[in-house]
Amino acid sequence: MLLDVADLEVRYGRTHAVRGVSLSVAPGEVVTVLGANGAGKSSLLKALAGAVRPAAGRIWLAGQDITALAAPDRVRQGLVLVPEGRQILVSLSVRENLLMGAYCRRDAEVGRDIDAIYDRFPNLAARRDMPASVLSGGEQQMLAISRALLARPKLMMLDEPSLGLSPLLVSRLFGLIGELNREGLAILLVEQNTRMALRAASRGYVMELGRVVLDGPAEKLANNDALAAAYLGGH
Amino acid sequence: MSASVSSRHPLLTSIGVALAGIAAVALLAVLPGGSTLAQQVVSGLMLGGIYVAVAVAFTLTIGVLNFLNFTIPTLFMLTGMVAWGLSRWGLPFGLSPGLHWAPALLGGVAVAILASLIVERFTFRYLKTRHGDATEHAIPLVSSLGFLLIFEHLVLIFLGSEAQSFPVRFRLDLHLGPLVVGLPQLASLLLSLGVVFWLSWLLQSTRTGRALRSIAESPDTATLLGVEVARIVPIVFLLSGLLCGVAGALFVVNYSDVSPFMGEHVGTKAIAGMVLGGLGSIWGAIAGGLLVGLLETLGIHFFGGDAAQVAVWGVLLAVLILRPQGLFGASRIGKGKL
Ligand SMILES: Nc1ncnc2c1ncn2[C@@H]1O[C@H](COP(=O)(O)OP(=O)(O)OP(=O)(O)O)[C@@H](O)[C@H]1O
Ligand SMILES: [Mg+2]
Repeated sequence: MLLDVADLEVRYGRTHAVRGVSLSVAPGEVVTVLGANGAGKSSLLKALAGAVRPAAGRIWLAGQDITALAAPDRVRQGLVLVPEGRQILVSLSVRENLLMGAYCRRDAEVGRDIDAIYDRFPNLAARRDMPASVLSGGEQQMLAISRALLARPKLMMLDEPSLGLSPLLVSRLFGLIGELNREGLAILLVEQNTRMALRAASRGYVMELGRVVLDGPAEKLANNDALAAAYLGGH
Repeated sequence: MSASVSSRHPLLTSIGVALAGIAAVALLAVLPGGSTLAQQVVSGLMLGGIYVAVAVAFTLTIGVLNFLNFTIPTLFMLTGMVAWGLSRWGLPFGLSPGLHWAPALLGGVAVAILASLIVERFTFRYLKTRHGDATEHAIPLVSSLGFLLIFEHLVLIFLGSEAQSFPVRFRLDLHLGPLVVGLPQLASLLLSLGVVFWLSWLLQSTRTGRALRSIAESPDTATLLGVEVARIVPIVFLLSGLLCGVAGALFVVNYSDVSPFMGEHVGTKAIAGMVLGGLGSIWGAIAGGLLVGLLETLGIHFFGGDAAQVAVWGVLLAVLILRPQGLFGASRIGKGKL
């Protein structure tokens, strides 16, 4: 497995946000984590990225125990998070945001990789020297993902990337996720857009109040009546 | 619009102001009786250059760390007093009395940098454990006040409370037509502005500079991108120590007088310059520092010492009432401060 998580716990004072979650992601796989607001999805990803310290549990990346590593070292090991709300650095230009994505890299191919991003997203290319604050929500999401890609990750974690995007942009976003996956990138995807997420993923986990209450192949989850009643109704 | 002013490249704007200043000085110099005034303008700019370096030290810690570092004026004072102490004791050894002032000044600068790093170690590292706590901002602030008093009293204990005169005077005048310019003055202005422009280049165009600006905007996001915040933060203190040290050394070269309380005067003027120019922007600190130096020197020339203080602070208050964001600031507190 590329990522293995065993019995992870996250606490904020008295709030017990993640309660004994175990999950795994295979190389080249898209795995989704679903759940209602406050289920603990973001806390899980933050603990995996090293942004919050887990109260208990172990994390392995490509067989190596990374539980004790600080967030910057996990980036160097190939585990990157595109956080909830994108967290673009608005005081930096588009190009500088991309350069910050490659902050940990010392190789000479950064420039070429940035050019490849510009080819993929002409909107970013056209605004490369503008402050990132001028970007639209969709462009900011593209920048956030591009910035994460520049770290050359083994596993990319996305926290609700479709939040606030128009239906057209949501389908373009999922198109991009599929494309990146076909290029070999493993993705751990937290989503509220259950239908789209289960279509993109091969497996899924459903969280409730900090616990995994359901997991399995994506098609099975998509046809699960309890899940449909809880999350898919009304769509 | 203020936004367009602030986004223009500071180097270009500064070169424009410098050219205008040179033109004004040249014009004054050829007018009958104008050359003493031109002389005052040159001295004012030199004094302003010292304020600029200290103001930029303040701006840097406020911009990157949201932290008003009270030890900055003390670092300035440490440079002067330590340099004086070293040369009085004949340190560094083995140099004839006329020669050891330069290494002594360098020693003073090194002590300022070292002291700044000590302050980082014992004030700012607390942030790591107290992040998000109500004490997050109070602890560095209070600890830096503590360090101010510790450094000041260490100097009082070991070097005494008297104002001292640096043993060597640095005098070399350059005659440019009717204008007499002190070479140390000119070198000081160029050196302090040079250090500040180097810093501005570092922030704008290097990997470390981008990391610093990312931390200024969001330490959490910077961490997720791989920036080791705890390793970068000491750079801020190293740079502010360097700026204060350079300013202190230049002060000694130009005025020869040092005292354990010399930091207070320069510190308040630097803060005035920083606020006048626009809090949080390096370009604002440059313009504001030069302006305060000019106001002070011209104020003394025309109205005498006490009235000069009234002039500086009066202009500051007037500007703050009319333009609370400062002359050149866009008042972007929190984001994009540098
Ligand atoms: N920094 C924090 N301090 C205290 N409590 C927190 C913190 N972050 C999250 N929580 C709490 O932990 C629980 C899980 O939050 P989390 O953000 O992980 O949920 P989520 O599944 O991502 O929700 P959403 O879908 O709304 O993003 C919530 O009860 C939340 O209030
Ligand atoms: Mg969330």
